[in-house]
Amino acid sequence: MNWRQTYLVLKREYLTRVKSKGFIWATILVPVGFAVLIGVGIFIAAWDSEIDYTIGVFDESGLIIENLQEIDETRYQDYSDLPVDTLRAMVQREEITGYVLVNDSHITGEQNLELIYSGSGGLQLLTAVRSDFRESIRQERLRRENVSEDIRNIFESSVTIDSRRLSREGEETDDDTEFLSVVGMFMGLIIFGAIFGYGGYIMRGVIEEKTNRIIEVIASSVKPIELLTGKMAGVGAIAITQFGIWILAFTGLSAIAGPVASSIIGESASATQMPNGMEQANQELPAILDIPTLETSLIIYFVIFFFLGYLLFSSLFAAIGSAADSETDTQQLMLPISAPIFIAYIIMFHTMQSPDSTLSVVGSLIPFFSPILMITRIAITEVPFWQTSTAILLMLLSFVGTMWLSAKIYQVGILSYGKTATFKDLAKWIKQS
Amino acid sequence: MSVTISVDGVSKRFGETQAVNNVSFDVEKGRIFGLLGPNGAGKTTTIRMINYITLQDEGKITINDLPVSPKTQKMIGYMPEERGLYKKMKVGEQLMYLAQLKGMNKTDAREKIKYWLNRFNAYDWHSKVVGELSKGMSQKIQFISTIVHNPEIYIFDEPFSGLDPINSELLKEIIIELKDQGNTILFSTHRMEQVEQMCDDICLFNNGKVVLTGNLRKIKKDFGKNTVLLEFQGDGSFLDELEDVRINNRSTNFAEIRILNGLNAQEILKKAMQNVEIHKFQLVEPSLNEIFISTVGEDNIKKQQEAELS
Repeated sequence: MNWRQTYLVLKREYLTRVKSKGFIWATILVPVGFAVLIGVGIFIAAWDSEIDYTIGVFDESGLIIENLQEIDETRYQDYSDLPVDTLRAMVQREEITGYVLVNDSHITGEQNLELIYSGSGGLQLLTAVRSDFRESIRQERLRRENVSEDIRNIFESSVTIDSRRLSREGEETDDDTEFLSVVGMFMGLIIFGAIFGYGGYIMRGVIEEKTNRIIEVIASSVKPIELLTGKMAGVGAIAITQFGIWILAFTGLSAIAGPVASSIIGESASATQMPNGMEQANQELPAILDIPTLETSLIIYFVIFFFLGYLLFSSLFAAIGSAADSETDTQQLMLPISAPIFIAYIIMFHTMQSPDSTLSVVGSLIPFFSPILMITRIAITEVPFWQTSTAILLMLLSFVGTMWLSAKIYQVGILSYGKTATFKDLAKWIKQS
Repeated sequence: MSVTISVDGVSKRFGETQAVNNVSFDVEKGRIFGLLGPNGAGKTTTIRMINYITLQDEGKITINDLPVSPKTQKMIGYMPEERGLYKKMKVGEQLMYLAQLKGMNKTDAREKIKYWLNRFNAYDWHSKVVGELSKGMSQKIQFISTIVHNPEIYIFDEPFSGLDPINSELLKEIIIELKDQGNTILFSTHRMEQVEQMCDDICLFNNGKVVLTGNLRKIKKDFGKNTVLLEFQGDGSFLDELEDVRINNRSTNFAEIRILNGLNAQEILKKAMQNVEIHKFQLVEPSLNEIFISTVGEDNIKKQQEAELS
């Protein structure tokens, strides 16, 4: 290895990329895209709950409908004076979403209630209808039993649990698991995106050198391993630059925008009653703007897993680039790389819910899943040190393995033109070099 | 006469294919050496091994008595058959990068780049992106990138393929000029007329083996004056009746006739006189093309026979 050559390659990779329009646009657009994504999510949540579903109620007892209308006046309509056949027809004509027959036997619990509906509204509607009826009928039962006002209030009261974390050292802190779950998911997502994004950079760079036919000129001055290392380091430096810009911009903006935004949200929240989704968003927004509560160790771990993840996968992306003849031919070869990343991505949503389950623990120790799963766990829960260190060690070992493998494929791949290699070819290349 | 590039018993195998099989030849200092052979004969693989891009399985390659290494790479200016430049990089930056990779420092590289760009009336392109240049212009930049670090050995793989006539001529001039300065040049081609015009020594490849190597003049002499150049007027169909000859370069009033089995040239003349009006009859050494065809042809026949025997 000649480090001067590697440095020259690194410098070229870095300078040509950092000056390119693509880099400047990506640096601007990715955070904008992220913000739009979050905004759209919040908007959908808020907008969705405003859709009205009408449930016709044929109430023989005349007692339940009142309770229901107390819960949701627009959703539950009293159709007790219409014949049931008309209700059926109205559902068929989609004038109402569905109807429910209620009589005494339902209140006493002899018979189950039945919702006849068109099927629209989905799970959300079903859950809402179920709980609304459960509550209304429970109220009626309590009334019939002539229980006192006090007892009825007990049933209506909700119990909240505040949680506080007690660390091994005996320190007690406010529990912000919900906030940290979101942070964990974001960190996992960022690493997921970064592996594909920067890995793709490297892959396209390698393919470009092949299609430009400059690679053999370069290969007559630089060893393939020097070229590969230089490229990986160059794009790594691009990643540092880009994240540096984002973090600076983000801290700068939130320092200004944080107080402003929370004051606006605070006012409007007290002024109007917000629908469900908005309330939730309301809780998250200040949390996002409120970075200082992140522990330093979490940030350090994020950086470690970010780079180990990058190193682990980037050499493989380079190998695929070298084996492909054009960018469109990479799909099939990508599969063995994208599969583990996507599996990790899917497991991540489970890990968010239960970060200490066997699946989460085992998954976070598998090197190709670690970068995404371990950081999510570290953010949410107290991960034993042996697990983090094992994950880091295994990733380092795997990195040596992928680098070795990639270097072998790369040094043959860059000089073979004309057709995209198959997996059989790759195996041959590994054996032969 | 000192040997600059020495290839000694070199073999290279890719899986099932024996790309290069026990190849040996020497390139002497200050001469132009031509590597000839049909496609897939192993020329490019050999050139890549000399350039330390591919490593040989067996044998020894030395450059100025040093085994090939990153150090010997810097003594060589190499223009591969599959060549190109970074399309999005500026001409000046690109040449600087390639020169630095060859071990030049910035100051020297800057000076050399300036010299060569001026020499090719291309200094205006210094800050242009390569993608904006015409094909001919970028070919010139490609030449400069090969020679800018001022090496003493130049290797060109199929240098004339894809060149326009002007650049073809320019490259020929550069090669002759480099040779006159005492540099050593090795190039591969299948364009025989260029070899005849430029090469001092040749090496003929077929099926991964060297079938013929040595001084071009001597090789031609050894083949003997057994080729007839015939210019005539009239019906040339009598040529088809000649036996034990091979006719190259045939047209309506010209034929290059290689005598194969000691047939007397006078017999051909007699036959020709009976049929057509003769404008020119000349006995010459065979063209390189003829040597190429007959050597490779015989080699292939031999190989076929061996295959049948075994």
